[in-house]
Amino acid sequence: MSTYTKKEVGQLVDGTLVWETVHQMLSMPKDEDRYKLYMEVLQDAVSYDDKILLAVGPHLNVVESATDGEIIYKCDCGHDFGDYRNNWKLGANIYVRDTPEKMDQVYPRLMSPDTTWQVYREYSCPTCGTMLDIEAPTPWYPCMHDFQPDLKTFFEWVGLPAPAKI
Amino acid sequence: MNDLTNPVEVLGIDAGGTMTDTFFVRRDGKFVVGKAQSDADEANAVLESSKDALAHWGREIKDVYPEMVTCVFSGTAMLNRVVGRKGLRTGLIVSKGFEDFHRMGRAIQCYLGYAFEDRLHLNTHRFDEPLVHIHDTRGVTERIDAKGQVVIPIRLHEAREAARELIEQGVSAIAISLISSYLNGSHERAVRDVVLEVAKEMGSDIPVFASVDYYPVRKESHRTNTTILEAYAAEPSRKILGQLSERMKAEGATFDLRVMATHGGTIGWKAKELARSLVSGPIGGVIGAKYLGEQLGYENIACSDIGGTSFDMALITQGDYSIHKDSDMARLVLSLPMVAMDSIGAGAGSFVRIDPYSMSLKLGPDSAGYRVGTCWPEGGLDTVSVTDCHIILGYLNPDNFLGGILDLDVPRARQCIQDQIATPLNMSVEDAAAGVIELLDLSLRQHLRAMITGKGYSPRDFVCFSYGGGGPVHAYGYTRGLGFKETIVPAWAAGFSAFGCASADFEYRYDKSVDVGINDESSPEDIEVACLKLQSAWDELKVKVLEEFAISGFGPESVTLTPGYSMQYMGQLNDLEIESPVKSIKGKEDWPALVKAFDETYARVYADAARSPELGFGITGAILRGSVVTSKPAIPKEPKSGPTPPENAKLGTRKFYDNHEWVEASLFHMESLLPGNNIVGPAVIESDATTYVIPTGFSTFLDEHRLFHLVEAD
Repeated sequence: MSTYTKKEVGQLVDGTLVWETVHQMLSMPKDEDRYKLYMEVLQDAVSYDDKILLAVGPHLNVVESATDGEIIYKCDCGHDFGDYRNNWKLGANIYVRDTPEKMDQVYPRLMSPDTTWQVYREYSCPTCGTMLDIEAPTPWYPCMHDFQPDLKTFFEWVGLPAPAKI
Repeated sequence: MNDLTNPVEVLGIDAGGTMTDTFFVRRDGKFVVGKAQSDADEANAVLESSKDALAHWGREIKDVYPEMVTCVFSGTAMLNRVVGRKGLRTGLIVSKGFEDFHRMGRAIQCYLGYAFEDRLHLNTHRFDEPLVHIHDTRGVTERIDAKGQVVIPIRLHEAREAARELIEQGVSAIAISLISSYLNGSHERAVRDVVLEVAKEMGSDIPVFASVDYYPVRKESHRTNTTILEAYAAEPSRKILGQLSERMKAEGATFDLRVMATHGGTIGWKAKELARSLVSGPIGGVIGAKYLGEQLGYENIACSDIGGTSFDMALITQGDYSIHKDSDMARLVLSLPMVAMDSIGAGAGSFVRIDPYSMSLKLGPDSAGYRVGTCWPEGGLDTVSVTDCHIILGYLNPDNFLGGILDLDVPRARQCIQDQIATPLNMSVEDAAAGVIELLDLSLRQHLRAMITGKGYSPRDFVCFSYGGGGPVHAYGYTRGLGFKETIVPAWAAGFSAFGCASADFEYRYDKSVDVGINDESSPEDIEVACLKLQSAWDELKVKVLEEFAISGFGPESVTLTPGYSMQYMGQLNDLEIESPVKSIKGKEDWPALVKAFDETYARVYADAARSPELGFGITGAILRGSVVTSKPAIPKEPKSGPTPPENAKLGTRKFYDNHEWVEASLFHMESLLPGNNIVGPAVIESDATTYVIPTGFSTFLDEHRLFHLVEAD
């Protein structure tokens, strides 16, 4: 089994790891301490003290609150999106691209969807404005709940003690 | 000191990434092998290696080079240049609207060369950087259809503009490849002339490569890649080979340096189509096996070559190997005809790991390479390799590894195997290491068997040749129980590729795609047209072949031309290459002979009952091979002596782990053994470059040609 350094995992997160190593990581059985190293790298990149349990996006994590042990969604800036079992998007700012003019800002004319069939919804953090996710549903579709992590099973898989409040 | 009765005649050079091997052969067949560290200056490494080899005979370069008649080079520099994307910056001109096909690589290039698991694992698929950047690519309006008719005439002013822009951008060469140019080359030639004109006007002398002048064959991705390589990778090699040739001349050489090519022949270093020498090492072995077979009367040979990273196999049936037309190399689809080989990514240096979920052993796909394994601490590795297992089990001599140039740390290797393999599997270190070797042997054996039975043959009809640095170590393991007629290990197994290169013909091979289809409903006129089409393709290729030989100073009278063609039953996907039964075609009266030759070959390759003449016959390609007579290495022949090895060949004994127990294996010095000597296992025969292992239940004898025959006890 292969092992990797924290530096390599950091480069993996940054997208700067050399392809040969990425390929090896993809092809070989997962290294035992990957989760631990990965979380350390993410933790180093944020300013809050709450313990990161899972990355949901490049700037959004599931964390264990340092103050009350609640498990919540948190933006890199520290904005709290609430309990991890609820859809965090309901607490985000939304910008909807639903006209050809708005689509023209991101794609050349005729290379974007017909907005009567598909719209883009951009979710951003109310505190820092960082875009956290985009979804591309039909116009009438409700706000999507992407997934609800099964943290209990997950911690069994990685063989680590689970946080108290899951 | 000159030895006039026994001059050194032949030199084979194998310039690898780490070592440059030279293989000198005297007229009487005696040979020496030299080694030197490869150098950025390849000429230097060749001379160093030559010095090392000739020292065995107490001779010097300046005495030997003048008496030599043949020298063949094979190397990995061109391939490395492609893999490392360090070639010449090349511009590309294609049909307008097709600018992106080169980087799309027929989609297949994102997983070419991968292990089977990774081909299925989409996340690992990835395109390498294209040889030519999209910014160095231009489209020119034109179109020729699938029948070779002009649909849109070429807009040459666009070609002028394209050439000017590319030269201004700083490209060092320009390749041109237009759609369907293999059927009608007029557009491409017009573009080529315009580009040359523009270059001249701009005071530039960059080389220009039109695909029609080099590889007029169908499949534009293959053809374009190959034409680009001619500029990107072969141009720099031309310079290096020129330097090498000059340096050799300065030492008194009068021979013409030749290069091993993918089609199994050698070509002059000044050849127009030098990209053909992209891959040569493993091919050399097959050519060597064929040559030995011809000399000694073996018709069917299974060639097996184990190096540190791969196991290469090829079949010689009825004295000939087969050729793949659309080979792929360095993760590129190419239109180079290449000696058909199967390779798997497991070799004597493969890494060994445990899959933590299934708790099973996993070999490769990566390998330790020149860093050997955990037994060589300076190599900086901490993952166990197959070599480590060989070392701790007594297969290899830790004090004489690669002739003793590396200091090996056996206890460290033992500890690493203990920690990484034996403990997780709850086994002893010896059984764990033996398990690794058994697994490798098993996997090689399965592939070898599959290659032979998959083509409808039985190992019983074949002699197995085992060579490469690791071949003699594993020969017993991967041939055990397969039932080969014989298993043969040449005493020069480690230098066998260089030997093979030196024994290859001086031969050019040119291909051209042809579209011909004849069935029951075809009229005699159709057949007449078809026949003349093939002949006109041969005429076109003949000009090129003779041109190539003229560069090396051979006139048409000394060239033997062998025409051939690829034929298939209409509607089938695979064609077969046929050596033409007629030297030239006069008209439709020659058609039955062409068909008969194909029908017979088909019945031999597949089965009589599989023949399908009712479908009609198609000719897909014209082939022309031209060769001239050259000097080849003589096969050694020594007088026979008795079965008992001489005293000076005996090196004592070593502990050797054989069949789950430690035994005392007798050791022998390979070079001191005499023809006729018979050795019964457990025994290990050592030489600087290789180790030949004979476990209990096997014996071996050396014949008068210095070939070891491995015999399995009943």
